[in-house]
Amino acid sequence: MPPTPKGNDGPTDTTKRSSKKPKLIVSRRCGYNRDPTYLWVIGTSRYAWRIINSRFTQQELPACKPILTPGWVITTFIFVGIIFIPIGLASLFASQQVVEIVERYDSDCISSSFSDKEDFIKRSDTNKTCIKKLLVSSSFLLEMSLRLIPHQLFYENALAVSFQVHKHMKSPVFVYYQIDHFYQNHRRYVKSRSDKQLRSKGYEDLTATCEPEAKTNNGPIVPCGLIAWSLFNDTYGFSVKNKVLEVSKKNIAWKSDKESKFGSNVYPKNFQSSGVIGGAKLNASKPLSEQDDLIVWMRTAALPTFRKLYGHIEVDLEANETITVVIQNNYNTYSFGGKKKLVLSTTSWIGGKNDFLGIAYLTVGGLCLFLAVSFIIVYVAKPRPLGDPSFLSWNRNPAGHLN
Amino acid sequence: HFVVLPFRQICYFFYKNVAFGVTVFLFEAYTSFSGQAAYNDWYLSFYNVLFTALPTLALGVLDQDVSTRFCIKFPLLYQEGVQNVLLSWRRILGWMFNGLTMSPLHLLTWPFANVVRLLAWIFWEPQCIPCVVWVVNVQMAISLSYFTLIQHIVIWGSVFNWYLFSFAYGSMPPNLSTNAYKVFLIACSPAPSYWLLVLFVVIAAVIPYYSYTAITMRFFPMYHQMIQWIRQEGQSNDPEYCNMVHQRCIRPTTVGFTARAEARSRSQRK
Repeated sequence: MPPTPKGNDGPTDTTKRSSKKPKLIVSRRCGYNRDPTYLWVIGTSRYAWRIINSRFTQQELPACKPILTPGWVITTFIFVGIIFIPIGLASLFASQQVVEIVERYDSDCISSSFSDKEDFIKRSDTNKTCIKKLLVSSSFLLEMSLRLIPHQLFYENALAVSFQVHKHMKSPVFVYYQIDHFYQNHRRYVKSRSDKQLRSKGYEDLTATCEPEAKTNNGPIVPCGLIAWSLFNDTYGFSVKNKVLEVSKKNIAWKSDKESKFGSNVYPKNFQSSGVIGGAKLNASKPLSEQDDLIVWMRTAALPTFRKLYGHIEVDLEANETITVVIQNNYNTYSFGGKKKLVLSTTSWIGGKNDFLGIAYLTVGGLCLFLAVSFIIVYVAKPRPLGDPSFLSWNRNPAGHLN
Repeated sequence: HFVVLPFRQICYFFYKNVAFGVTVFLFEAYTSFSGQAAYNDWYLSFYNVLFTALPTLALGVLDQDVSTRFCIKFPLLYQEGVQNVLLSWRRILGWMFNGLTMSPLHLLTWPFANVVRLLAWIFWEPQCIPCVVWVVNVQMAISLSYFTLIQHIVIWGSVFNWYLFSFAYGSMPPNLSTNAYKVFLIACSPAPSYWLLVLFVVIAAVIPYYSYTAITMRFFPMYHQMIQWIRQEGQSNDPEYCNMVHQRCIRPTTVGFTARAEARSRSQRK
């Protein structure tokens, strides 16, 4: 043991330094099967820290170590295929049960004497009533023959349009209006509202986010903002065999919205009173929590093509019936090239008419079964397990000859 | 050897953020790029904090592809780190590509599917985000090779966290939860087609990676995967077998003319 040179180690106090220096005490044999204990002693024993080697710190926790064997792969794919195909079939079947009528009316419901559609819609003196007939038909021949009937036999602005709706529509039949190319998800539009103002009368003046539809000379606009200002105002009246079909407006808005987001003490004020009228006018004597159309409209849609619930018809519609719809074509979608459509639809457990889910499930189920079969073929055709020494060329000939 | 494994964590981290970010970008195409966020602010913030953070952490800390014993037995494993096999650009871009191609699935199925009955297309996050969270966590579960109890808890716990958060946030009064108020609870959860669509997106998004892993695992395994096979087939105590596997790693082939020439030259050198 060479003598340690006594030198000037520095200005520090040696006793202070030695008390800070950690002393490592390691117990024997750090084999991986043992549990050695490491003891770090810092300073005096008062600051003793002990890190015990647990299974966690040695990364020896009990675990399962899955590996993708051929068996697992094939089983998984077959299992997914077997589950998905029936779901797909059930969804497709349910979707086929739904009866849906979609009728675009904004291009037809302009009086033929006006060539400029925008002009027609903006004027307040034009007659915006439009009558359409919808045929709930189960016969293809009947539909085709109707298309050939000349226009003059019907009311002014009316068209006989028939749709391939096969059958009886069970109540409730939901009436939606669908608008295309209307960007309710545009950032500035979505911001243009004041939730606090909608909720309670006390916050009437909180209209900062609602510019430009925020205030008039008479005070703040309630409800303020572009969303409310552009409220949809077409109306539809249905009748079948000269009997009026009631469109119920109950429960079209979410209950949670009616109770919490729109106050029952907030009344419309100064609404649509500025120069440019954007949509419907509101009944100033009804509080906002009862203005269902407004509540439905204020839930901004996420996509530029959307449907909103207008109401529901509580009566069954028989097959081969002709429904006459009187449409008040008020809403201006012509300025931006939008489209308006009227939709009548029944529902099933899957929602509206949509084959996508059924087809998607069938596709993925089919793909999985196809993959299972191909993996079986691949594993059977190439059975060589990894590194099986019997396949090595110098092992094929036990005598060691190379050929 | 376990210090090598955070590489997988990094690849996964890229993947999950790409998967999430591309859905946000794709949504912008629908809003005519006005900058309207696809998701509510809190969901955006919590994606990386609550819903996907812990599995990543657990992957980095706890994952091991082969146990300590095998690491000592097959020291060539360490070459994987030296040769930068695990964090090559090809792997990183591969993971990101996976995220990129699967995110249209998360986002675009919803417009086609027209799920909710009362309001046809409503705000996005209760539809898209669970898809992304599920897929990202299931992807993690598939790519893991060492499943401890902790991994199970954090993976399925993160998914559960999403539902818990969605429920809690939606139940807060509207002045706090703004437009997320009760969206999940009232509009989405009662609709069976909502759940069916989430299931569809999860399975469909994971199938490509699963097939790819199955094929590479079987026919083009990396060194640590070969060792996993050896362990699986119980041949780890056979020295000749292990030696053969060593050679397999060093040289691209163990059969054919090259191998014979090598074997001959080696025996002559001895």
